[in-house]
Amino acid sequence: MARLWLTRLWSDFRHHVKLYFLLLGAQVRSQGVYRVSFALDAASTALITLAEFAAFALVLPRFGSLSGWTLGEVALLYGLAELSFVVMDLLFGGFDNLGTHIRSGSFSTFLLRPVPLPLQVFGSDFALRRLSRVILAAGILAYGLTHVSFPWSAGSALLLLSSMVGMIAFFGGLFVIGGTVTFWTVENVEAMNVLTYGGRTLISYPMDIYGHLLRKTFTYVLPAAFLSYFPVLHLLGRPLPDGLPGWVAFLSPVMGSLMLAAAFAFWKVGVSRYQGTGN
Amino acid sequence: MLRSPHLALYAAVARLGFRRQFAYLPAAVWGMVTNVFFGALRIAVLLALFGKQPQVAGYTAQDAVTYVALTQVFIASFSLFGWYDFMRTIHRGEVATDLLRPFHLLGYWAAQDAGRAAGQFVVRGAPMLLLFPLVWDMKWPAQPLLTLISVLLAWACGFAFRFLVNCAAFWSADAVGIGRLAWAVLGLGCGFLMPLAFFPEWFRQTLGFTPFPAMLNAMVELWVGLKTGAAAWEAVALQLGWTLALFVLAGVVLARGLKRLEVAGG
Repeated sequence: MARLWLTRLWSDFRHHVKLYFLLLGAQVRSQGVYRVSFALDAASTALITLAEFAAFALVLPRFGSLSGWTLGEVALLYGLAELSFVVMDLLFGGFDNLGTHIRSGSFSTFLLRPVPLPLQVFGSDFALRRLSRVILAAGILAYGLTHVSFPWSAGSALLLLSSMVGMIAFFGGLFVIGGTVTFWTVENVEAMNVLTYGGRTLISYPMDIYGHLLRKTFTYVLPAAFLSYFPVLHLLGRPLPDGLPGWVAFLSPVMGSLMLAAAFAFWKVGVSRYQGTGN
Repeated sequence: MLRSPHLALYAAVARLGFRRQFAYLPAAVWGMVTNVFFGALRIAVLLALFGKQPQVAGYTAQDAVTYVALTQVFIASFSLFGWYDFMRTIHRGEVATDLLRPFHLLGYWAAQDAGRAAGQFVVRGAPMLLLFPLVWDMKWPAQPLLTLISVLLAWACGFAFRFLVNCAAFWSADAVGIGRLAWAVLGLGCGFLMPLAFFPEWFRQTLGFTPFPAMLNAMVELWVGLKTGAAAWEAVALQLGWTLALFVLAGVVLARGLKRLEVAGG
C-alpha cells in the first residue's frame, strides 16, 4: 500500500518536472528569436549588477575598508546574496509578475488547465537573459572566496550551500507573498520591493554597519541576518553578535523554509479569493 | 519649436502631465517609503566607509548624507531607473497620431515630461526633502538660485538623453534591451550609485567626456558646496552645453527616425 503510494508520488513528481521544463522550453525558444536584442538584454541585465558592485569596488580603496571588512570579504557576502537572489528570481519570477497575468485576465486561463496552479506560475516567466546575472554573481562570489582566507572543509561548503538554500527559499517566499497580494490590489505593490530588493541590498553588506534598531529588527523580527551575515561571520571565524552560539549560522534553511511555508499558506487564501478582473 | 501661438498648447500638455501624477497618491506614498528605506541603507554604507575620517575627496559625512538624500529625492523626477513612454508610442504606432497634432514631437514630449517631473517632485520628492533632515544631518544649498538652475538643467539634459534612447525604437522592434543598457550606464555615470568624486582619477576623467555627470552629479556638487563661485558657474555652463548638444542630436535623430517611419508606412 505504502509502496504504491510512493510510486504514485514519484510518477506525479516526474510528470510535474516534465511539465515545468516544457513550460520553460517554450519561453526559451521564443526568447531566442531576436538574437541581437536578446544579447543586449542579457548584457544590460548583468551590467546593472556589475555597475552596482563596481561602483563600490572602485570607491573602497579611497576609504580603506568598510568598518573593518576588506573588498574580498564584502564580495563574499555580496556575491552570496546576489547569486541566491538571481537564482531565486529565475525560479520565482512568475510570482513577481503575477499582477500582469491578473490584469490581462490570463490568470483565469491558468485555472482551466489541468496543471497545478503554482506550477504554471513557476513556469510562466522564465527570463533567460537573467542567466547572465547568475554568471556575474558567481564571479563576484568566486572573487570573494579567493580573496579571503578560511579553512576549506565539508563544514564550510555545507555552510555556504545552506546559506544559499535558505536565501532562495526566503526571498522566494517574499515573491510568493508579493504575487498573492495582487489578488486584492491587482497592481504590483511597490512596498513589497522594500522587502525583496531592499532585503537583498540590506544583506549584501555586513550588518554591523546598520544602526542598533535596524540590525535588531532584521535579526529578531525579520530574520534576514540568519541568511548570509551569520554564515559568513562563522566562515571567517568571527563571533556572532549578541553572544549567539556558532550553530546559529546553520539556521538559514530553517528561516527560509518557514518563510516559504507561510507564503504558500497565504497563497492558498489568495487563490480562493480570486474572482477574475472582469475581462 | 516654441513659437508663441503654440506656447499655450505646450503649457497645457505640461499641466496635464503634472496633474496625472496625482492620480495614484497611494502609489506615490509607497514609492516614497521604498526610496527612504533604500536611502537609509545607502547612508549606512557611506557612513561606514567614512568611519572616523572627517573628509574624503572633498566630501564630509554630512555631504555624503545630503548626496544620498538628493539622489533618492530625484529618482522619480529624473526617471533614473528608466523611461519608455515615447518608445511605447512608436511600437504601438500611436506616434503617427501624435504627428497630426500641432506640436513639434520633441517639444511635446519635453513639455509632458517637464510636467511629469514636476508632479513627481511634488508628490514624492519634496516630502522626502523634508523627511530626510528629520532623521539625518542634511545640508541646504549655499547658492540656492544657481543650484535650482542646475537642478532644472539636470532634468533637461537627462530628458534629452532619455528621449534619444527611446528613438532607438524607430530602428529596432525591441529597443527595451537598448534602454536597459542605457539606464545601467546612466546609473553609474551620473553619480547615482556613488558620488563621482570618490572614483579613481582615470574613471572620473573618462566620465568627464560624457554628458552623464551633467544629469545628476553636477547638481549634487553644487548643492553640497563642493563647487562654488567660478567653478559652480563653469559646472552649470557645462550642463547647459551638454543639454543643448543632446537636444540638437535628439532633434536630428527624431527627424531621421520619422522619415523611416514614413517609408515603412507607419
